[in-house]
Amino acid sequence: MNSPPPVRVYAVTWAALMLLLVATFVAAHLRLGPFNPVVALAIAVAKVVLVALFFMHLKRSSALIVLFALVGLFALAILFGLSGADYATRSIHPAPWVAPAGY
Amino acid sequence: MSAAAREMGPGEWREQTSSLGMWVFLATEVMFFGAVFLAYLYLRTQYPDAVSEASRHTHEWMGTMNTAILLTSSFSMALAVRFSQIAKRQTVQRLLWVTAALGAAFLALKLTEYTMEWHEGLVPGLHFTIARNARVTQLFFFLYFLATGVHAVHLAIGVATVLWMSWRLRKPPFPDWRADEIDVLGLYWHFVDAIWIFLYPLFYLVSLQA
Repeated sequence: MNSPPPVRVYAVTWAALMLLLVATFVAAHLRLGPFNPVVALAIAVAKVVLVALFFMHLKRSSALIVLFALVGLFALAILFGLSGADYATRSIHPAPWVAPAGY
Repeated sequence: MSAAAREMGPGEWREQTSSLGMWVFLATEVMFFGAVFLAYLYLRTQYPDAVSEASRHTHEWMGTMNTAILLTSSFSMALAVRFSQIAKRQTVQRLLWVTAALGAAFLALKLTEYTMEWHEGLVPGLHFTIARNARVTQLFFFLYFLATGVHAVHLAIGVATVLWMSWRLRKPPFPDWRADEIDVLGLYWHFVDAIWIFLYPLFYLVSLQA
């Protein structure tokens, strides 16, 4: 790797992460209705993007490494997509409770 | 040696392959934790109100403190990786100590939290005393202990490896491949941090509105 970025880059990333932590904590105490989980997840994604780009230095990594970083998320999207489609369209009909033999 | 290796030179080639190896491992880890997140998503979408209630039993301040600790540990780890690239052995060693100490602080706080949860009767199967929404609350806490427990195991492995690396840096020399080892260790550390970044809002911040 070429000469590393200045310490300032890491300090700013850390400060931004702490600000986002405060923001998510405050937002969780506000009544935002359906937007509460949306805001919480959006902030979590923002934090992970900062960690990945600057701490895991994906910003300075080769295209090959960025591709491998994304491929796990792509596979995860398939898992969520297919399983989610199944659960979302299936209604639960619990079987009536039957006492096991011997009771 | 392939054409790509000749173009890059041995140092860069080694750095590329070691990073790539860790990223492949991390992709499998994404799938491993992903299944737990999927189970959570199912529980929360099927029983939103019961999950909200169950989540009020978690200790938001301890979770928030631990998030701050872990984010800061990633900061010191990232600095350790940075200084390893300019071969500042002693600085790297100190930063690794700080990282391991913060990781250990996280685990200590987590264990304290687990102890409190045991006494509050929140442990499904072993000591569970919550009567309201008992089934969904048990499932919620089953997922909580599974996700945070597996995360804690990952972090404990990280702390041990960082300590071991720090011990190996106690005296010179500092060969340039050492920086690649520390870089790969850093990737693992930040990944464990990233998992916690998602666990925190999903388990602690579900329903805090007054």
